[in-house]
Amino acid sequence: MRMRAAIALVLAATLGLALAGPRLQAQPALSGEYKIGVLEPLTGSLAFEGKRHMDAYEVMRDMINAQGGVMGKKLVFAVGDATDPTAAASEATRLITREGVKIITGTYSSTLCGAASEAAARANVIYWETSCVDPRFSQRGLKTVFRTEIDGTGFGWYNIQFIAKHLAPRFNMQPNQLKVAFLSEDSSYGQGVTESARRRAKQEFGMQEVAAEYYAFASTNDFTPIVVKFKQLNPDVVFHIARGNDAVLFWRQSREQNFLFKALVHAGATGYGSADFGKALGNDGNGPFVLAEPSAGLKLEMFKPEAQKMEREFGEAIKARSGDLPLASHRLAGSGLWLLKVVLDQAKTDELEKFRSTVLSLDLPVGSMLNGWGVKFAENGQNANERVQHYMLQWQNGQMVTVWPEEFTSIRAKWIPLGPWDQRK
Amino acid sequence: MDPARTLGPAQIDVVAQLAASTVLLGGIYALIAVGLTLIFGIMRVVNFAHGEFLMLGMYLAFWAFTIFSLDPYLVLFVSIPLFFLVGTGIYVLVMRGVINASHNVQIFTTVGLSTALQNVALVAWTGDFRFVRPWHSSVIIRSGGAAFNLSQVVAFAIALALTFCLFAFMKWTHTGRVMRATAQDRDAATLMGIDTDRIYRLTFAIGIACVGSAGVLISPLYQVYPTAGLQFVLLSYVVVVLGGLGDMVGAMIGSLIVAGVEVIGSYFFGTAWKEIFYFVLFIGVLVFRPAGLFGQRGAETLGV
Repeated sequence: MRMRAAIALVLAATLGLALAGPRLQAQPALSGEYKIGVLEPLTGSLAFEGKRHMDAYEVMRDMINAQGGVMGKKLVFAVGDATDPTAAASEATRLITREGVKIITGTYSSTLCGAASEAAARANVIYWETSCVDPRFSQRGLKTVFRTEIDGTGFGWYNIQFIAKHLAPRFNMQPNQLKVAFLSEDSSYGQGVTESARRRAKQEFGMQEVAAEYYAFASTNDFTPIVVKFKQLNPDVVFHIARGNDAVLFWRQSREQNFLFKALVHAGATGYGSADFGKALGNDGNGPFVLAEPSAGLKLEMFKPEAQKMEREFGEAIKARSGDLPLASHRLAGSGLWLLKVVLDQAKTDELEKFRSTVLSLDLPVGSMLNGWGVKFAENGQNANERVQHYMLQWQNGQMVTVWPEEFTSIRAKWIPLGPWDQRK
Repeated sequence: MDPARTLGPAQIDVVAQLAASTVLLGGIYALIAVGLTLIFGIMRVVNFAHGEFLMLGMYLAFWAFTIFSLDPYLVLFVSIPLFFLVGTGIYVLVMRGVINASHNVQIFTTVGLSTALQNVALVAWTGDFRFVRPWHSSVIIRSGGAAFNLSQVVAFAIALALTFCLFAFMKWTHTGRVMRATAQDRDAATLMGIDTDRIYRLTFAIGIACVGSAGVLISPLYQVYPTAGLQFVLLSYVVVVLGGLGDMVGAMIGSLIVAGVEVIGSYFFGTAWKEIFYFVLFIGVLVFRPAGLFGQRGAETLGV
């Protein structure tokens, strides 16, 4: 009987220690560490991209620690694997309750950020998104969520900005004289970008919409009917959000039908934004504009000196780690985490009200961050379109080069208006 | 005013172009569907891996073009015997075992085969989009207000020739008659001394040779990637049901109807509507003429 009681006592003690363990670890402040939660898909179908974000976070964490850490403490991560929306929510909860974090950052994918940030908001924990573009993320009235990247509607905003401010003057036209044909694949990304562009084109610039067509990219084998229809509508600009094969097919069939327009504008790394477009068409693919991260031609000297230095250091560290220059995903995660350090250092606390007021008071011009962004958050926790500078690239001689904003690049846009198909060499 | 809704003399070019697009797109669909209608019609096997053989044909053309600079039209001479052998092999290894099983088992088997082939392609050749760009893929023919691509015209011509050859083979050769007999009543055919196993093997091999060659022919027009087949395979089922199972000429006409619905629907109502139109047609045919527009005895028993 006494033996049993002793065993029970030992068991209870062990269990107690095991339970207390994480709680002991959750007091890193005493040891000079500051822990945040990092949620990324590290296994499963999204892991490919999630790992890139994770690499960038780790590289940036080391850079931050080399520069005094956050709030004078060493920055450390508690990592969660957000394979899918369910895992994203449960891992967020685990990071909060077991690891005791007050800030979570992540999750790159638009399928994950909603669920993860919802879980964080329930626990009144700050959610710092560096990459997902789902517009709904910042439209839920949550006071604890912030996003450093623009959302999908921001891409539409930028495309119309480029059409109105850069293309229209070069066509010698007023924006309200421009006829625009909208064409898009029908995913939520395509629709989000296109709908926001349509609204801005009409309401802000009074552009004339001559068509708005959606298609399922996986089952569209022939664009001739659309090209024939567009040809009759005679648009100045074709606004086309493509996903893959559809970009090549539309462009090739437009050439076959001798469909002449003044410019084509796309947004994102798919379709016209994919390297495959150039591989498939070579010089025949010259001309389309793509809103994306900067490429050849970018003038780094336009960034603030500290941003230039950080861009170089970050680039070298990513190259040492992955063997390649930083991709868009690396830059999104890296600069997002740096901005979190800036906020924490200024606020000197992770207490929500103080943190939030510090974020909202930040006002950094374009060129301040390593990817050339500036900072100005709105009440809904969303960084402003005007500050989160995106770049217009153009296919020139089989390569995508940076052409806009002009002060940030040494290469100029060509073929404005596009002119005959065989004279774009 | 939407110009798509005003048809006047000035629109003759548009009509010419839509007609040309219908015919050429129909050619591509027919090319893919004849192999399917053969397997579907005679063996009564719903081959869900059909699109993957199309994809393999596209990869064959890609590698031959990339490594040996061989034009896809020359590769055609290799692809027909090669895919005939592949078809025979797959029949012996996979299909023979399930030929007498229920439709469910056959569906699981061919879906499994489809997934396996897609993943083999993914592992072996990655998910990258690949391209075949022979000289004829950028030659544009303009005639009477319509413009089209030379590769498309060749694909259509070969589809027409292939359909006619298969039609003639089925109609006028002994083997063709035996195949039709097997399709109409497998048991009776066996009683007449027909080796149905040999007929099925032959049918499957011919069907795969057709679709493999179709892949080679469309490679200059579409990008090559592991799931390229999915883009076309659903459509070819509509074509086959419209045309009647095992009916070559029906498949050709069915392809033109589907392409016409797609092209004209896209022009007048928008691309988003095209699938609604041809699936309504598909359901309509299943309800009112289950044997296909041109009918074939025994097709109803399939119970699709």
